[in-house]
Amino acid sequence: MLDAKERRKLKDKARELREKIVEVTFTCGGAHIGGAFSQHEILVALYYKAMRIDPKRPAWEDRDRFILSKGHGGVGHAVILGDLGYYDPVLLKDFNKTGSPFGMHLDRLKVPGVDFSTGSLGHGLALGLGAAMGARQTGKDWRTYVVMSDGECAEGSVWEAAMAAANFKATNLMAFVDRNRLSLDGPTESLMRLDPLDKKFEAFGWRTLVIDGHDLDQILDAVEISRAETERPVMVIANTIKGKGVDFMEEKTAWHYGGLDEAMRDAALASILKS
Amino acid sequence: MEIVSQVHARNLVKLGENHPEVLVLTADLSESCETGAFRDAYRERFVTCGVSEQNMLSIAGGLAREGFIPCVHTFGVFLYRRALDQIAMSIAYPNLPVKMFGFLPGIMTPGGATHQAIEDVSVMRSLPNMTVLEVGDATETESVLELAISIRGPVYVRMLRGEIPRLFPASQPMLLDTPRVLADGTDVVVISSGICTEEALRATSALRAKGVSVGHAHVSTLKPFSPGVLAPLIAGARYGVITMENHTVVGGLGSIVAELMVEGGIHGKLVKLGLQDTFAHGASRSYLAREYRIDAMALVEEVQRLVGRPSLVEAQDLAAVRVEIALSSAKAEAM
Ligand SMILES: Cc1ncc(C[n+]2csc(CCOP(=O)(O)OP(=O)(O)O)c2C)c(N)n1
Repeated sequence: MLDAKERRKLKDKARELREKIVEVTFTCGGAHIGGAFSQHEILVALYYKAMRIDPKRPAWEDRDRFILSKGHGGVGHAVILGDLGYYDPVLLKDFNKTGSPFGMHLDRLKVPGVDFSTGSLGHGLALGLGAAMGARQTGKDWRTYVVMSDGECAEGSVWEAAMAAANFKATNLMAFVDRNRLSLDGPTESLMRLDPLDKKFEAFGWRTLVIDGHDLDQILDAVEISRAETERPVMVIANTIKGKGVDFMEEKTAWHYGGLDEAMRDAALASILKS
Repeated sequence: MEIVSQVHARNLVKLGENHPEVLVLTADLSESCETGAFRDAYRERFVTCGVSEQNMLSIAGGLAREGFIPCVHTFGVFLYRRALDQIAMSIAYPNLPVKMFGFLPGIMTPGGATHQAIEDVSVMRSLPNMTVLEVGDATETESVLELAISIRGPVYVRMLRGEIPRLFPASQPMLLDTPRVLADGTDVVVISSGICTEEALRATSALRAKGVSVGHAHVSTLKPFSPGVLAPLIAGARYGVITMENHTVVGGLGSIVAELMVEGGIHGKLVKLGLQDTFAHGASRSYLAREYRIDAMALVEEVQRLVGRPSLVEAQDLAAVRVEIALSSAKAEAM
C-alpha cells in the first residue's frame, strides 16, 4: 500500500513520463505509443517502487530482472530507463533514428538496463522462467518480472511456458498481461478469443489476479501477493486501456503504431495534463 | 519511374474471384500484409489466427491436405523462424501447396533484428520440395501470386508491399527459374535479387558511362536454380562476378551463385555483397543499405576494385532512381 504522498509522487512521475513518451514519438517520427501507454503504470510501479535495482550498476548480480515480452513497448521502457539514469536521457532525442543505440525494440547489447532483447512476441515468459530458475539454481533471492501483451497470448509458446512455470513452482517469477483488449488488427476477442484469460492461467497452475492495470496501488498489492506466494507463480491480468492518457488515442487500434505532427503532439500533451 | 501501390491487395481480390479454393490466412498483420481488401471481399475465405504463426502454418497444412490453397501472410521472420518445424513437417515433407508470403524481407523494416528476415532464403531453400521466390519490382509483385499458385508444392515468397517501383515492363511477368538478363557485359557481371536490383541499376548505368562493361542479371527464383542463361554470362566476366542481396551472404544468392560456378567448372572471382554474417539493427532503409553495403555505391566500389580503376564514379553521379516515401501520423501498417 502506498501512502498518500508516495502515491502522488508516483502518479506525477507516470504523467511526466507519458509526456516524455509523446515527445520521443514526436521526434522519432513514429512509435508503438498505444501499447506504451497501456503498459505504463505497470512499468512505473515496478521500476520506481517494487523492483530491487540500481541504475548505476545495470549489471549488478542481485538486481531483479525485467523482461518486456511485448518488445514493441520499447519506447515506454526506454524513457523510464533514461529517467532513472541508466543512460543520459538526452540520447532519446535520437530514439529509433539512424545511428542511435535505440531501435523501436530495445537491444540489450546497446541499451544499459535492458536484460533481454525482445520484439518477437511469445518469448518473454519462457525467458523469464529461465532467469527465475537460474536464480534458484544459484540460491539467489532476486525476482523476475515479465510483462506480456494480450495479443501475444495467442502464441502457443506462452502456454508452454505457463505450464512449465507452474510445474517448476517458479514462485520467484511474476508476470503481467497488459490486457488492453486490442492487438494490431483489432479487438483480441474478434481475432482470437482469449477470455476467460484468468481462468486459463488459473487452470495452468498459476495464482491469477485480475486488477485495474492503471491503478498503482493494485499493481503493488499484486507484487506483495507474489512475494508471499510459496506454491504458485503469480499472473496478473491487468485490465488496461490502449493509448491511455491521450483522449484521441484511447481504445483506437490505429494508435498501435503512429507518428505525431506538432499539432497532435500539443493536443496529446494537453490531454495528458488533464488526465 | 512508375510507382505502383497496393499491388498484392488488388491481386488477391482478383485471384479470389475465380479461385474458391484460395484461402487467405494471417496472424494479426492483415493490413500490414495487404490482405484487408480480400478480407472485405471474401470474409468466409479469410482466416485470422491471432498472433500464432506456428498454429497458422499447421492449419495451412491441414487445409492444403483437404484441397484448399492457403495463402499465408505475415512478416517473413515470423514465418520461417517461428514456425520452421511446422513448415518443414506439416507442409514441405507432405509437399502441400501452401503459399507463404513473407513481408519486409531483410532491411525493409526499421524494426531491428527481431523483425528482419535475413536468413530466410538460406533456411527455406534448404528444405526439400520448397520453391523460393523473391520479387524485385511492381511487375514481379503483380505476377508472383499467379506464379505461386501455378506451382504444385509449397512456395515461399519474399514479398514487397506499399509503393513499389516498376523496373520491368508490365508485359514481362515473372517466370519460374528464369533470371532476367538486363545487360550483357564482359568486364564484371552483377547478379542481384529483390530490392538490390534497383540499387544495382543505378550503379551499372553510371559505370557503363565510364566505359566499364558491366553485365547484369536479376534473379527472382532462388530455388530451383538452373545454370541457364547465367552460366555463360558469368563465364564471360573477365574480372569477376558480384552478387548483391538483401540477405546474409551465408546461404543466399551469393552462395547459390558460388555453387553454380563451382559445379559448372566456371573459374573466376566472386564478391558477395549482403549482410556479412551479422544481425542488422533498426534504421531507415537507405541508411541500412549504406551501412551494410548493399547500395549502389557499394557496388560501384566493388566493381572499381575488381577492374582496378578507382574513383570512376562518385556518389553524386549515381542517378536517383527512387525517392523515399515519408510516413507520419497514425498508421498501423507502418509496422
Ligand atoms: C512473433 C511475432 N509475430 C508478430 C509480431 C508483429 N506484431 C507486433 S505487435 C503485434 C500485436 C500487438 O498487439 P498486442 O500484442 O496485444 O500488443 P499491445 O496492444 O499491448 O501493444 C504484432 C502482431 C511480432 N512482433 N512477433
